[in-house]
Amino acid sequence: MTTIEVPSQQTDTATVASMIRERAGNDPVQVAMREKRLGIWQEITWEEYWESIEMVAHGLMALGVEPGDRVAIHSQNRPEWITADAACAAIRATCMGLYPTNPSAEVQYLLHNSGSKVLIAEDQEQVDKALAVKDALPELERIVYIEPRGVDVYDDPMLMSWDELLQLGRSHLATDPAALTQRMSDAQADDIAYLIYTSGTTGPPKGAMLTVGNVAFAAGLLRSNDGFVDPAPGPDDQLISFLPLCHVYEKGFGHWLNAAVGTVTNFGESLDTLTTDMREIQPTIFGAVPRIWEKMHAAVLVRMASASRLKKLNYGYWMRTAEKLGRQLVASGGVWSRGMRVRYALGNLFLFRALKERLGLGKCRHGITAAAPIAPEVVEFFMGIGVPIFEAYGMTESSAIGTTNRPGRVKLGTVGEAYSNIELRLDDESGEIVMRHPAVFAGYWRNPEATADTIDSDGWLHTGDVAEWVDGSHVKIVDRIKDIIITAGGKNISPSEIENALKVSPFIGEAIVIGDRRKFLSALIGIDFDVVSEWAQRKQLAHTTYRDLSEKPEVRELIQKAVTQANEAFASAEQIKKFVLLNKELDHEQGELTATQKVKRSVIEEKFAAEIEGMYR
Amino acid sequence: MRVKLLGEALQHAGGKGEGTLVEVDDIHLSFAGVKAIDGVSFTVSNRELFAIIGPNGAGKTSIFNCLSGVYHPQVGAIRFLGKDILGTKPNKIAALGMARTFQNIELFPNLTVLDNLMLGRHLFLDYGPLAAMAWFGRTRRREIENREVVEAIIQFLELEPFRKSYVAMLPYGVQKRIELGRALAMEPKLLLLDEPAAGMNNEETEDMARAILDIKRELGIGMILVEHDMRVVMDLADTVLAIDFGKPIALGPPDQIQQNPDVIRAYLGQEHAVVEVHPGEDQ
Repeated sequence: MTTIEVPSQQTDTATVASMIRERAGNDPVQVAMREKRLGIWQEITWEEYWESIEMVAHGLMALGVEPGDRVAIHSQNRPEWITADAACAAIRATCMGLYPTNPSAEVQYLLHNSGSKVLIAEDQEQVDKALAVKDALPELERIVYIEPRGVDVYDDPMLMSWDELLQLGRSHLATDPAALTQRMSDAQADDIAYLIYTSGTTGPPKGAMLTVGNVAFAAGLLRSNDGFVDPAPGPDDQLISFLPLCHVYEKGFGHWLNAAVGTVTNFGESLDTLTTDMREIQPTIFGAVPRIWEKMHAAVLVRMASASRLKKLNYGYWMRTAEKLGRQLVASGGVWSRGMRVRYALGNLFLFRALKERLGLGKCRHGITAAAPIAPEVVEFFMGIGVPIFEAYGMTESSAIGTTNRPGRVKLGTVGEAYSNIELRLDDESGEIVMRHPAVFAGYWRNPEATADTIDSDGWLHTGDVAEWVDGSHVKIVDRIKDIIITAGGKNISPSEIENALKVSPFIGEAIVIGDRRKFLSALIGIDFDVVSEWAQRKQLAHTTYRDLSEKPEVRELIQKAVTQANEAFASAEQIKKFVLLNKELDHEQGELTATQKVKRSVIEEKFAAEIEGMYR
Repeated sequence: MRVKLLGEALQHAGGKGEGTLVEVDDIHLSFAGVKAIDGVSFTVSNRELFAIIGPNGAGKTSIFNCLSGVYHPQVGAIRFLGKDILGTKPNKIAALGMARTFQNIELFPNLTVLDNLMLGRHLFLDYGPLAAMAWFGRTRRREIENREVVEAIIQFLELEPFRKSYVAMLPYGVQKRIELGRALAMEPKLLLLDEPAAGMNNEETEDMARAILDIKRELGIGMILVEHDMRVVMDLADTVLAIDFGKPIALGPPDQIQQNPDVIRAYLGQEHAVVEVHPGEDQ
């Protein structure tokens, strides 16, 4: 074991890299992360983690990466991702991440816009995307690939393997051992640590610049007692990293939190194995987007529909108990009475514990839902079976810092309260959320106009989200300013609230409410193929593709029922009067969804214009 | 263990150098007077991707069955790794290093993916049933070694989400991948692929094509491919043999085969082909 020397002239500017170096010095053999490889969870200690960061950092320096240069990473979540990310922090380079699903044209845009010098690409697929557009990328000098399969035979002087990069780092370390320490101690709070491209439901993505200071503030908040988790997270906490690491949400949980407080980040085999990986890891803190929570919820409903009678009875009984508990908990803000505890204990014995363990949430002490609005029913479901889940709010431009519900002070349907050491208010006129704190970003990369539109002269960040206060303390998001529908009758309607009510039905995967300047509201609805397909099989309804299934009259009837049910909660003007079933699944590559699976309204409305007009004819 | 390329896990698979793998010498096979194969000859070397094409019923699968020992041609010779294998039983031929996949998937539907793949390792098990009941010593070592190989295959074919799933529950495209995986688990010198892309959608076909190329490059296994999807054949194969009614009609690299008038005739019908190949001449 080598001892890690922490230089005495340590600066006050903590970067992700310096936090990891410190951890590697203090707890060298503690587990920093795990990765499932060939079916076995392999552990990586802090010392090993730091050593690879050193090698990559030296390797990047040997490639000529100077402070402020951009390094792009295009990969699924894996240890090399955060290693490269931390190495960038160590050498004061700016790290930029791409979504694994970004097609070649977007890769070109992002690499060109950021002016990246080095690209770290996971495998042949991502290397091919970059090579196809490399002629349009004059600033790109190197492509480092992590997986050699298929790439090792390419003959392109730009290419270099991950192992070669480490090797290069090793020799650079031997010739210039002080280079890294020097760079690290030169770090400044206003160094641009990241370019995080916002998904942009309109227009091309913009690169939000997050500084070292932003990250330090955000990481500090997460570790403090004022943070979201109580007690504060630490090395006993297990997290699973599956949301894209180029997004600020996963960076916060999978990377910054790991570096700041030593929570263990676990990398599963793929997104498709999440259920198995969750069952094996049983994370204690689980941050996800509503889509994941909704899918888990739907999976339970579907499994139960085809279970034996006895199981169904048991499930039905205890779920009714859970529902009541959930509602009581929501009403009490998460405070338990004695009666509730007794009922929960019994439910745990007969159903909840087994159910939670199957979902991989058996040890989950804090679940988070953020990034998009969630249906209250889903929150109630998880609360009821004993998974505490808290809705939070933040955005790339605020380094994910904003508001959160806290244990004991939950208000359903709100995104909670602002952190105590930040300034957050609602604009008097528009109701827009504006905030000011040290984690507010430095502006958009090479785009002063957009920056000026977002941060005003007093340093307030204009979020573009309209909200209202609940009981003076909690924030309830109404919608994105530009998404709000004004009907022909002049009524302001928030489409996302109605869309979420529709998506409560497990059969509905996607819903887009239409009605701006129209006489009534209508909706484009996409079925959840897996769930509806399972339902159709039980009804012995033969079907082939998504389209075929969507066009069945029986399916239409099924969705009609769900729509009618959802309508009950709304006033007449807010009810869906007509709907069309989409005949294809929306996807990112065809521009219908953003990389974070948010619907691009304008694209959809254009693509399905004929269907929409049909409803208003 | 961190496997980067398949060759690190499958050390017995494939051949070294450019030697001849299999020689088929003028074989004739008939069933009660119906000629299924009529004088077919070819050779396949290490690292070669050899494709057999032809219309339905041309005798492609029959050639596979002769190679793997299911059928015994009445006339001719087949040499595999220099050994005459005519009349040898299928299991013996498999043990020599020939593995195959089937046109209609032949897996154990009520076993998991993992078990199906582990079954592909039966040639590498050297303990008896009694030893298998006790989990120690050689048994334990072998099981772990074999599981490591199987895990490398799972990773290679991206079967991770299905490890513990029953084969019967899985989509067709996935089952095709498992079949290929099981054949690979045998660490063959020669791999026979019977319509690996049949019934697959575009994306699945591309994945399969990529897997076949990776196998060729990383393991150097010789492969004989029967496939209807002409794009797959023309993109992948080094050499193509076209047959019709059991008779060889052309043999050569893909670009030559595509131009060959006899092949076009067999596929598109005579008149059509003549018009296409020599416009004006026949009118």
